[in-house]
Amino acid sequence: MSEQMILTQTDLAERFPGKVRRDERKGYEGYIVEADALLQVAQTLRDEMGYDYLSSITGVDYLPDGYMESVYHFYRTTGGPALVLKVQTPRDHAVVPSLVSLYPGAEFQEREAWDLLGIRYEGHPDLRRILMWEGFAGHPLRKDWREPYYEEDAKPFKSRWPDGHVYRIEDKNPFHKNVDYPPDFDPDQWVADNDAALYASLAKIQSTLDSSLKTDTVIVNMGPQHPSTHGVFRMVVLLEGETVRALKPVMGYLHRNHEKIGERNTYIMNMPFTDRLDYLSSMSNNFGYALAVEKLMGIKPPERAEYLRVIMAEFTRISNHLFAIGSLLNDLGAYFTPMLYAIEERELILDIFEAVAGSRMMCNYFRFGGVARDLPEGVYEKMRDLAFERLPRRIDELDLYLTNNEIIRARCEGVGVLTPEQAIAFSASGPLLRASGVPYDIRRADPYSIYDRFEFDVAVRYHGDVYDRYLVRLDEIRQSIRILQQALRDLPQGPILAGKPQYQVRVPPGEAYGRVEAPKGELGFYVVSNGKPNPWRYHVRAPSFVNITALETMAKGNKVADVVAILGSIDIVLGELDR
Amino acid sequence: MDWASLAEWTLKSFALIFALLGGFAYLTLFERKLIARFQVRIGPNRAGPFGLLQPVADGIKLIFKEELIPAQADKIIFILAPIITVVPALVIMAVVPFGPPIQLFGRTISLQIIDLNVGVLYIMAIASVSVYGIVLAGWSSNNKYATLGGIRSSAQMISYELALGLAFTGPVLLTSSLSLAEIVEAQRHIWFVLYQPVGAFIFWISTLAEVNRAPFDMPEAEQELTAGYHTEYSGMKFALFFMAEYIKMIAVSAIAVTLFFGGYRGPFVDQVPLLGPIYFLLKVVGFLFLMVWVRATLPRIRYDRLMAFGWKVLFSLALGNAMLTALGVLLADMFQNSLWLWSIPVTTIAFFLLVAYLMRGSIAGGNR
Amino acid sequence: MSVDYVLFGGLALVTILSALGMLFSRNAVYSALYLIFNFSTIAVLYLMLSAPFIALAQITVYAGAIMVLFLFVIMLLGAEQRGQAVRTWWMQPLALGLAGILIFEAIYLIFTHRTSFPPLRQAVGDLGNPLQIGEQLFSNYLLAFEAVALLLLVAVIGAIFLSRGRKLR
Repeated sequence: MSEQMILTQTDLAERFPGKVRRDERKGYEGYIVEADALLQVAQTLRDEMGYDYLSSITGVDYLPDGYMESVYHFYRTTGGPALVLKVQTPRDHAVVPSLVSLYPGAEFQEREAWDLLGIRYEGHPDLRRILMWEGFAGHPLRKDWREPYYEEDAKPFKSRWPDGHVYRIEDKNPFHKNVDYPPDFDPDQWVADNDAALYASLAKIQSTLDSSLKTDTVIVNMGPQHPSTHGVFRMVVLLEGETVRALKPVMGYLHRNHEKIGERNTYIMNMPFTDRLDYLSSMSNNFGYALAVEKLMGIKPPERAEYLRVIMAEFTRISNHLFAIGSLLNDLGAYFTPMLYAIEERELILDIFEAVAGSRMMCNYFRFGGVARDLPEGVYEKMRDLAFERLPRRIDELDLYLTNNEIIRARCEGVGVLTPEQAIAFSASGPLLRASGVPYDIRRADPYSIYDRFEFDVAVRYHGDVYDRYLVRLDEIRQSIRILQQALRDLPQGPILAGKPQYQVRVPPGEAYGRVEAPKGELGFYVVSNGKPNPWRYHVRAPSFVNITALETMAKGNKVADVVAILGSIDIVLGELDR
Repeated sequence: MDWASLAEWTLKSFALIFALLGGFAYLTLFERKLIARFQVRIGPNRAGPFGLLQPVADGIKLIFKEELIPAQADKIIFILAPIITVVPALVIMAVVPFGPPIQLFGRTISLQIIDLNVGVLYIMAIASVSVYGIVLAGWSSNNKYATLGGIRSSAQMISYELALGLAFTGPVLLTSSLSLAEIVEAQRHIWFVLYQPVGAFIFWISTLAEVNRAPFDMPEAEQELTAGYHTEYSGMKFALFFMAEYIKMIAVSAIAVTLFFGGYRGPFVDQVPLLGPIYFLLKVVGFLFLMVWVRATLPRIRYDRLMAFGWKVLFSLALGNAMLTALGVLLADMFQNSLWLWSIPVTTIAFFLLVAYLMRGSIAGGNR
Repeated sequence: MSVDYVLFGGLALVTILSALGMLFSRNAVYSALYLIFNFSTIAVLYLMLSAPFIALAQITVYAGAIMVLFLFVIMLLGAEQRGQAVRTWWMQPLALGLAGILIFEAIYLIFTHRTSFPPLRQAVGDLGNPLQIGEQLFSNYLLAFEAVALLLLVAVIGAIFLSRGRKLR
């Protein structure tokens, strides 16, 4: 095995001559694989070279060059940098083999790329639209797709800038004049298909159920309006009695095409926009995006900024996990009491965010090469008090009240089990992965910023059930407090931003994938620059979105009530899931 | 049957119903205030001083809300169901004595609507039909959540009624009467909870299940079934379900007080009969506080675990408790010495511990 | 006494009508509801016979527990709409025959024994009293009581076995 692990990246091109070549474009890395060899190469990567974790799949539409690219980021769960594969395919007939058979975690990401970019993944078991609705015309992330009220390709729009005489193009251009219907489409005759494809795929499962007693199944739609789907998420559940036989998540109710808007925005305009992804942990979102763009720009923030970033990211993790634990308990039917106890601490953390960033939830605190503001007076003491005094005590208290509660254990232990193999295969990340016994934490496995300086343990538990996910979150809060204590102790003086603050940054052409260990899992930003003020491609690898891939596997065979607990234990946020 | 006693009955019935309705209204406020305190909040304090007008505001809001009837619902039963739910809740209190007989206008008026000689059985009968409203509401809404809630509640009721019925036998055996007035009278010197600690415990748990209170609020489990059987109800019809739930809370607390905690008995009741209702009220409020406390504290048990708990633990405990109580009463009879009654708590607690030991892990423990 | 007769007449009418309603409703849930109603009116009839114990037992056991199970099954199977029932040729003649025998016997008894019926209260005696019932059950009818108990135990064990069998396999 060790020899195989040593196989360096250059080997891949030599191993598959004519099929794989290095990506020689300036600012790019990885390999370009011929479409017909992709499965073979991926199999080699997974089985021989140890790249068992398919982190991200997305596509890029290179309109000027006339092709599309499907981009894959592979990692080893033992740690180390990424291996990037790309498959190029013509725009008018974009077909790429599906990797779902090798990496089940590719399922939703491939559906997303099909939905938004129109790359057809051959061999995908259930290639339906995922974020847009069935019947939507076109694929919105293609560069030649234009929205109603389209103005320009990139902001700032001339209509709103400069001199402040704003007019909105929608005022000048009534709605129906701006809508293109496909040639054979008559809106008056159109009827919604009422999820026919979805129910068909459930009916297929229904027919395969075998049972000795003749039982009847019932399909229940949990959501989109449902108190415990954490937003407008919908699960279509096939029930036999109260036991789940199949489950299909349906999402996109909160879809706003974050990525398309992001590609219209300038680089710095996207910073506050990332806040809206996982709105419970905006600092981590900032962090990931800043890392990706800094990679492209080739700059590093000064010491003090690095420390501040780590401090904010860890506070975010604590507040997010408190929220996650609180709402998990709510999902178990505790009437808001644990939730409100957990939120009390979160409020204090948000106080700090408000003091440094000016906003409690939409922080917009990071800048390329640093952070926006230094600590105001008195905040450092507040943070010290929280990290050294209050939080450790309150976490112990939470632990004391919740961890050994009989009902909680009865509801959580052995429920929604995900084995380590499954967790890796489904590209699960964050607490979901670590509760399944895979000690994979990006802060350790592929350190970014200054995480290599701190002493902390990667929280890991081995049963892979809801209870362990809860425990992992509790452990992670404790580890975050440890990191905070070290960071606060060592926080140096100095500048907080490399260079001058600027509204417009110059980003050289190239691609970069910046990823951080966000509270919910691996948060990755894949940014492609073509040298203009706006990103050519801006893709978010959202942990909630990828983690939800494993939901059906976890839910099968459990009771309806458990589905809610399992969903709660994944800890999703719809702002990030639907984007 | 003279006119005076007819008038007395009528007046007492009206008084009881109004007391229950008022109790319902202020119980909601009581619960909201209490839960708020448990959760480090303040709770309703806008309508009136200390939020005292909040129930009125809620009532007005609910009356003026639009009432929707789903198109595919079974309209007759859909409208009937809330009524069927409320009526048993209101009439179940008829046999519970609130205080000792008092002298008024030269008549002896017993503070009880009617002293049935089968009062305990009456409570059982009403409790057993009270589930219909919920079941029918669930079925007639033509909504899957509602149907699941209805099915759950029927199964739950049947399961916990057994333990409940067996828990009733304790006080009945000790008094050798099914009349609630006599049961209270028998507790003149000692509350039955001392003879029947396990029985009272079983009674308490199974009533929580009977009135669908947390942690047994399966039929309306918000997290799974949105609102369970009353998902489709709005306006006053919804309020009726709400009312039934809270009146049932009051009723079962009153019954628990009557059976196990001496009813209206307390110091100086014989001298000042009007103290009786006050003691009774205080005890009932104590039980209501317990119910709210449990709701603020515990998560919900999963449905299959709930059934397993009801059948495997509670039912066997209740059977054993009934048998050991009978044994104790028999021994006391045989030796003509009421000290033998003290064998009941000893043996039943031992039995309780044995069952708890045997069942450890099988209900609450995880399945990994 | 006349009040009692009027009450009885009304109740009997309600009982019969609810029984007919049960037979003729197309919806199984309505049938079950009529049956519950029917059981309740019968309980009131018992009450009129000064047998409150039996009346309340009737409500608890029949109108309460058993009919809840009926409704439970109907709802669970979604069988509330009458489908194509399996009809066999001998069903109707058999039912008619049996009903005929019953009616004949009733009429015969009424006309022949008309005068020898004892007054209601005497016939029932103190049987409505729970104490009496208990004593009767544990003395005169002990064998039958124990036999029924055994039968129920067997049924319970059988039910447990049937529902467990699936898991074991």
